[in-house]
Amino acid sequence: MSLPSAHLFIQTLILGILVGGVYALMASGLTLIFGVMKVINVAHGAFLILGAYLTYLLFQWFKLDPIISIAITMPLFFLFGWLLQKYVFSRIESPEQTSVLVTFALALILEGLLGAIFQTTARSVTPSYSTATIILATYRIPVTRLAGFVTALVVLLILYYVLERTRLGRAVRATIQDPRAAQLVGVKISMVSAFTFALGVSTAAAGGSLLSMIYTFNPASQGDWVAKTLAIIVLGGMGSLPGALIASLILGVMEQLTAIIVTLYWSPIVFYVFLFLTLIVRPQGLMGEVIREKG
Amino acid sequence: MPMLSANNVSKSFGGIKAVDSCSIEVERGSITGLIGPNGSGKTTLFNIITGFYQLDEGTIVLEDKPIHGLKPNQIYHRGIGRTFQITRLFWKMTVLENMIVPVKQLGLATLMSQGVKNYEEEKAMELLEMVGLAKFRNEEARKLSFGQQKLIELAAVLMSDPAMILLDEPAGGVNPVMIEKMMDIVDELNQKGTTFLLVEHNMRLVMELCQHIIVLDHGQKIAEGEPAEIQNNPLVLEAYLGSTQNANASA
Amino acid sequence: MLKFFRSTPGLVAILFVVGLISPWVMPNQYYQHIIVMTLMAAVMASSWNIIGGYAGYTSLGHAAFFGLGGYLVAWTNTHYGWHPFISVWFLSLIVVAVALVMGWIALRTQGSAFVVVTIAIVFIFRLLALNLGSITNGANGMTQPRPGWGGAQWSPELFKIPFLYFFLVLLCLTIFASWWIRNSKFGLGLIAIREDEGKAESVGIDTMMYKVLAFGISAYFVAVAGGIYSYLFTYIEPGFVFDVFVSVTMVLMAILGGRGTLWGPVLGAFIMQPLSIWVVGAFGGSSIHLTVFGGILLLVMLFMPQGILPAVSESLNRRKQVQSPAQEAK
Repeated sequence: MSLPSAHLFIQTLILGILVGGVYALMASGLTLIFGVMKVINVAHGAFLILGAYLTYLLFQWFKLDPIISIAITMPLFFLFGWLLQKYVFSRIESPEQTSVLVTFALALILEGLLGAIFQTTARSVTPSYSTATIILATYRIPVTRLAGFVTALVVLLILYYVLERTRLGRAVRATIQDPRAAQLVGVKISMVSAFTFALGVSTAAAGGSLLSMIYTFNPASQGDWVAKTLAIIVLGGMGSLPGALIASLILGVMEQLTAIIVTLYWSPIVFYVFLFLTLIVRPQGLMGEVIREKG
Repeated sequence: MPMLSANNVSKSFGGIKAVDSCSIEVERGSITGLIGPNGSGKTTLFNIITGFYQLDEGTIVLEDKPIHGLKPNQIYHRGIGRTFQITRLFWKMTVLENMIVPVKQLGLATLMSQGVKNYEEEKAMELLEMVGLAKFRNEEARKLSFGQQKLIELAAVLMSDPAMILLDEPAGGVNPVMIEKMMDIVDELNQKGTTFLLVEHNMRLVMELCQHIIVLDHGQKIAEGEPAEIQNNPLVLEAYLGSTQNANASA
Repeated sequence: MLKFFRSTPGLVAILFVVGLISPWVMPNQYYQHIIVMTLMAAVMASSWNIIGGYAGYTSLGHAAFFGLGGYLVAWTNTHYGWHPFISVWFLSLIVVAVALVMGWIALRTQGSAFVVVTIAIVFIFRLLALNLGSITNGANGMTQPRPGWGGAQWSPELFKIPFLYFFLVLLCLTIFASWWIRNSKFGLGLIAIREDEGKAESVGIDTMMYKVLAFGISAYFVAVAGGIYSYLFTYIEPGFVFDVFVSVTMVLMAILGGRGTLWGPVLGAFIMQPLSIWVVGAFGGSSIHLTVFGGILLLVMLFMPQGILPAVSESLNRRKQVQSPAQEAK
């Protein structure tokens, strides 16, 4: 264990923020789905990895840039999410109790299928700029990270716009705040749920595309990504988008710092410990409301 | 020396003071009524006394010992039993099982042993006989009528011989015959020495049963005294009428 | 006499006798392997049921106790030569201690938050096992000597039988413990917690103590199973045991058979485990068995969330009521 120099510290901070931006995109869908449906979508990691494989295929077949492929994967996932909600999740009787298991089942199904198709080999998408770095005032910044960060911000801004300015988006926000009141003013919950789930899954497509060029992945890595994104939304307050954004930046930076102060191998523990402690000490997270209690 | 006293108790929810430096006392052996318009803080006070909510300020004292800060099960072991405004039973358990769930202070060995339940069954049956529901012992609790469920809830509380019982709207939504029965039971238990604190909207029941009445409004005590005094207290009338007017205005 | 065989001790006796004979009726190693693994799964599902079924707290953290049991056995066997068949009973008490601490923290949360916390427990233990290489040998895993007794290794033809008997005894013990709890005041309290935790507290139940205790007890048999599992395979690695999937198998078996019932988890394990061994065998090294498993879980959750035993008893009850309506006027 050693304390980093000021230069290394700032370098790490930059990397942490860049990676935090990508995490924010990955976690946004998860927190949105929880906010509206009170469903913890444990399949979110599998969706991310599915998005990564789709991007990988598009790159292998058509040499399509991973960032551009988002324009294809997002609408596809939106449709996928819509159908899933309409034909599977809407049938769950007591979502709070069973949703975790149902979505876990979905994650297993996807992991198994991806494993059968792609085997366990670690893959990644390597566009021409994948190893390039730019140097900004003596700090080295990998181009993929920067591109990922910018793309994540753009997608999050679009998401923000959809939630703020469209009718359905406003219905989604109303439902997060007070589902009963929302219903009273004429919000159709089934419609909002389908839309939210579709929206949430489609952000996983974008997140997966970015993941594919920044990290290596195989079907089993879905578990790690669930843990990471869960930690983020729990820390940020489940259902809160701004909370997820802040938590992503905090955890991104913490992870990078742990990696240089301790070792790379220990860095994931940041997520698990935060996940564990937040739920114990402040279950409502940084910005969220109290998770509904029995009794 | 009152048996139970709440001293300057306050509790807020998100900036709204549900109970506002409120003090009440319950004499040993009495049936004390707690009345007031909807939202006046009666149930909140109940939940504070029984440990479901933590108070922000003040103290709760039972038999000279402070009990605020204790957990609901600890308060139960100090001898305070309670029922709920909306009856809470273990719906999928049988009536008899519902009676046996409550525990006195038992050691782990007793909890883990096999014979206890049989021993308790006798007492449970006695109490079920008393409330007249013994024949339903093997029915699931959810299958009983509303009034029967209220009686079961009370009977289950009696399993541990509490010195004091807090009843939250024992007559709410119950038919008149059942209300009579409930009043008889409360009266009988009181004769045997059990102290009662009850929240109730049925004024006939309150006036007939209670020796002492405390009136809350907006989280504060506005009056207390014997039934006759309360009935003629202008403040009380205003609180009730005022709130009905508000209710009409907001409806 | 017939009545005895329909009571719980009677059923356990039947199970025991059938298990005792089974390896001599079925000398085939593959079948014996299936029986061993099925008994183990039944132990785990029944044990999980104590917190997950009776108290209704869906723990996905039990894989951590399974793995911890496995590592403790592997470590003491390789370093001190402690025989797992004996040491595991004591070593698992250490796991219980860990579980009590974990439970004391995790059981402050409820509902889906609890599920998520328990997932985090598994991840934390996996990371510890991976990174504390000087003790656990990291990702390479630990190897134990071939199973045997008093210096002599068990012959390959008979080597499954001691394990089969071990898990048979363990299963009978687990069912007995579960039955004992179900019939005690403690068990009734756990069910009360599942039904309405606030109400349970209002009638004097120290809910935290009950839950933590149930969590600890349910960790015990899972830990014993994990210990003997690592001995059976003479090998253990973090990704193998510290995997939420291991927890989910317990949950699925318990739910399939009927969570919260005594025999449901056993039934669920007897159905699921042979099936999943067959699927893994049929599809070789591919991960398609995950898909099959996930598919079954999905179908069970969607169409039979209450499980087989409750569904059967409900339909039996209904038939009885149709045959003799209104035995007792309300």
